[in-house]
Amino acid sequence: MVATGGQAQDQSHNQEPGVLCPTSAVTGLPQKRYYRQRAHSNPIADHSFDYPARPEDVDWRSMYPSIQQGQQVSFADIGCGYGGFLITLGEMFPEKLSIGMEIRVKVSDYVVDRIAALRRKGADTGAYQNVACLRTNAMKYLPNYFAKGQLEKMFFLYPDPHFKRAKHKWRIINQALLSEYAYVLRKGGLVYTMTDVEDLHKWIVAHMEEHPLYERLTEEEANADPITPKLYQSSEEGAKVVRNKGDHFLAIFRRL
Amino acid sequence: MCTTISFAEPEIVLGHGRRVLFVNPDDLQIFKEIELPPDLGLKGLGSQSQESCPAAAAATSTSTATATCAGKEPGGKEQQLTKQPEEGGTTASGSGVTSTSVQNVTYSPDGQLLAVTTSGGQKALLLYRSRPENARLLSTRPLARAASAVRFCSDSSSVLVTDKTGDCYQYDCVELEAPPRLLLGHLSVVYDILWSEDQQHIITCDRDDKIRVTNYPATFDIHSYCLGHREFVSGLALLTDKHIASASGDKTLRVWNYIQGKELLQHELPAPAVRLLVRQLEPEKIFQAAVLFYEHVDALGLYRLERSSDDIWSVTATQLVCAEAGSWSISNFTLTSDRIYVTGAENERLSLRVYDIATGQPATSGVPEGWVKMVLDGLGANEEGAPPFIPEDLSVWFKKRFDNVSDYLERKKRRIEEQQQQKCG
Repeated sequence: MVATGGQAQDQSHNQEPGVLCPTSAVTGLPQKRYYRQRAHSNPIADHSFDYPARPEDVDWRSMYPSIQQGQQVSFADIGCGYGGFLITLGEMFPEKLSIGMEIRVKVSDYVVDRIAALRRKGADTGAYQNVACLRTNAMKYLPNYFAKGQLEKMFFLYPDPHFKRAKHKWRIINQALLSEYAYVLRKGGLVYTMTDVEDLHKWIVAHMEEHPLYERLTEEEANADPITPKLYQSSEEGAKVVRNKGDHFLAIFRRL
Repeated sequence: MCTTISFAEPEIVLGHGRRVLFVNPDDLQIFKEIELPPDLGLKGLGSQSQESCPAAAAATSTSTATATCAGKEPGGKEQQLTKQPEEGGTTASGSGVTSTSVQNVTYSPDGQLLAVTTSGGQKALLLYRSRPENARLLSTRPLARAASAVRFCSDSSSVLVTDKTGDCYQYDCVELEAPPRLLLGHLSVVYDILWSEDQQHIITCDRDDKIRVTNYPATFDIHSYCLGHREFVSGLALLTDKHIASASGDKTLRVWNYIQGKELLQHELPAPAVRLLVRQLEPEKIFQAAVLFYEHVDALGLYRLERSSDDIWSVTATQLVCAEAGSWSISNFTLTSDRIYVTGAENERLSLRVYDIATGQPATSGVPEGWVKMVLDGLGANEEGAPPFIPEDLSVWFKKRFDNVSDYLERKKRRIEEQQQQKCG
């Protein structure tokens, strides 16, 4: 368990005045080392989340200060990690609102700080007003945030593989949850999944293909999607995999 | 250990320990009784017919999915299959058998069948034919986990069983050997389940404040959610073909149009609600909702729900029933047209008390002399050596709020402040 590692690290850094601030003096962006947290989280346990009772109760303006009347979130990056792909998504689709959902306290806080810093840097252009990050348990609270058929795209990039069979219920893709994702996705909406664990990839594909409300995109269709190349590049987890020369397994599904 | 009590005209059905009693509330007649077999015989079932075991069935229903993965994980699937009977094995031996007790008793709508679930050592779903025979055991099917709610469909052809992990299984009541089907899953305990009269919708509520409406038979397709509760939803009841009532730990009783997922009425309760019962007084229009409270000076609340037009509902009368709350630990209750029957524990023994619905006071007339004693004796409540009866601790239903955020934010704030001070200095 390295859950308390962060604290120890903070204290050791107290001796070095130069690196105290979580924001880099060079880039003005938060530094990841202050936000490190172990990769696993129990999604079934109680946490202290403030979650809305209903989608109508969500204060989206607090996350997207320039949100328009009637505008709503269309893309959701579930388990967005340090937000690399979420930021890319915001750049690729300036007209769409994208939300990153992350369960880990420090990691989601990093993304919030990073987006705030990016917004400050690009204040004159109004960039990054269309991305935001929420600390929540997406396995439990998606219907609390999104109405039926609201989302156009959902992303599950490098999800926790939860290798042990007993913990398969914790996997973000499982039979029961696929119905919940189908509920918040509009018809024709897309689910993007990416992992570097081949067994998990097979698990995901098998479950999605078995579910009557999804069909897998053909390789041709997947390759024609402008998002596909970005999936291989822009998530931090992805970058790590590239360095390790691991294999990526991409699968995209359409909500029927 | 728990007790179950319900009123199914003309009987009061009580389950406790290893016995179920069917009694006439108005005289000293016991219609019938059921005693659990000494050994439910799950041992054999467990080892040879995995299909009838929910856990294995889950694997089967996802088999096309898991098979491919499991095949790759050396020994993965095999391990699971051998583990299942092992669990059955331990439960069938020694202390397991003695700790098995009746948990829930439910009549099918046509009154022909009786579903009994057990908890403790041997967890099972027992199906009895209640008519014309005197409760003949038809089948005993193992449950992976103790049931949290049980509900027949309106044509009595199958029964739904949910559990603490949020899974909902359908057991066929015609094809008794058919493996159970996993219909849907929540991520927390499912406390109650409804199946609409037309069998088009299954409605479930859970510890995560949610009421979910699932299409049937296309259970992979969620029809709607009824959202608004801020604590566990402990009970549901069908009012009309599109309206339900719900009771919650958030101290509210609500009425919903479940087809639209729309809240129609929210009524404040004096305390968290842990059970809900609804009696129809006038079809489609007037209902009596009875709520059991969590640790409150009044044990029960009775609310008259009236529908004045299509989607307009209101509470037109309220009555609180003390039921000597505080002097004993109340576990369950049921209603007849004029009386409230409450079960609970007194000195760790099962106790049963009867109250007058009109006054909320202990019933002085109508209950035959010696009736309560007859029932308690029939259930073996006062027998030498009967295990102590301690009702379920419901405090665990409430979410534990543990704060893992403010500490982090405090440290972060301090760090930034120190940094700024150093900059200035």
